Amino acid sequence: MAVEEAIPRTVGKGKAPTTVRFWHNANTVVLGCFQSAQLEVNFDACKQTGTQVVRRFTGGGAVYHDAGNLNYAISLREGHPVIPKDDNLQLVFRRLSEGTVKGLRDLGVSAEFEPINDIQVDGKKVSGAAGSVRWGAVFHHGCILVSSDLTILGKVLNVSRAKLSDKHVASVQKRVTTVREELARHVTTFEVQDAIVKGIEECYGVHLENADLTKEELALAQELYDTKYSRSEWNLSP
Amino acid sequence: MMVRRTSDYKAPGGKLVRVRMEEKNGEIETIRISGDFFLVPEDQLSKLEKMLIGAPLKARELKLLVDRFFVATRVKGLGVSPDDFVQAVLTATVVE
Repeated sequence: MAVEEAIPRTVGKGKAPTTVRFWHNANTVVLGCFQSAQLEVNFDACKQTGTQVVRRFTGGGAVYHDAGNLNYAISLREGHPVIPKDDNLQLVFRRLSEGTVKGLRDLGVSAEFEPINDIQVDGKKVSGAAGSVRWGAVFHHGCILVSSDLTILGKVLNVSRAKLSDKHVASVQKRVTTVREELARHVTTFEVQDAIVKGIEECYGVHLENADLTKEELALAQELYDTKYSRSEWNLSP
Repeated sequence: MMVRRTSDYKAPGGKLVRVRMEEKNGEIETIRISGDFFLVPEDQLSKLEKMLIGAPLKARELKLLVDRFFVATRVKGLGVSPDDFVQAVLTATVVE
C-alpha cells in the first residue's frame, strides 16, 4: 500500500515516468480510505483464515486480496493526453479501465466497464477500481479476481443489507465472479497480466517496459510505510 | 440525555454512507461518517465531521453546513452528493 501511494506522488512531481504497476499479495482485506474497519470487517473470520487488514489511500469499497488476485495501478501526471481534460474521476475510471477491459476481452471474458468503478461480466463483478487526482498525478488502481477464493471473501467482509438492496442478491459471493470461472479453465495471474499489458498498449498507443522502482519511490514508500501503512491507527480506524 | 443514532444510507449515486453518532437535546455530540464513496482529495472528511458537531438535526441547518464544507474545501464527490450526507444524518435512527 505504501508503494501504491509513493508512485503517484513521485510521478506527479515529474520524477518518475508514467507507470503501470502489477502486484499481488497474500490473504488481505483492503479497506477504502473512508470505511470503518469495525463495520466492514469480520475480524473473527480474518483470524480463522489468517487474513490481515490494511487500508489504501483511495476511496471505494473493501476488497479481498489473495494470490489469485491481480492488482494493477496506473499513475500519470495530470494533463497527460490519455486523461480526460477536466480530471473528472468518473471519466478517469472509465478511460483507465479500457486497457483492462480490452485485455480481459482478448482472453475471452466478456468484460464491460460498469459505472461507477467496476468491470463486470453479465452483471457480476470481476474487477473493482478506485483512484484519485492528487499530488499533480492521476491515479487509478484495480484488483482483478483471477482465481480468488470467493468463499473466504464472503466470510471476511461484512456487506450491509443496504448495499445489496438493489442488487437482488443475498450475498457478496453471488455478485462476483473470477476470470477462471468465466473461462472455465485454469488461468494464471501472469497470463492475465500479459493480456492487460497488451490491452493497455493497444488502447492508449503506448509501449510498456519493465523497470524497477526509482530510489526516490523506494525511500518514499519506506517513509509512508513507517509513518502510516504499518500503523493500526491508519489500517484499523473505526 | 445522550441518544445513539445510526444509518446506512444508500445514495442514489450507488454508494453507501454510514453514520454513527451521538445526539443530545437534538444536537450532534459526536459523529463518524464512513462508507465506500469517493471524495477527492481524501483527507478532508474529518473536517465535515468537525463542522457537524453541535449542529441541530434539522435539514436546513445540516444542508447549509454540508454545502459550506464542499465549497470551502473544493472536495469533489463521486457516487455521493452533498445532499446524501444530509440525508444519511437525517435518516439515522435511534439505537436501543
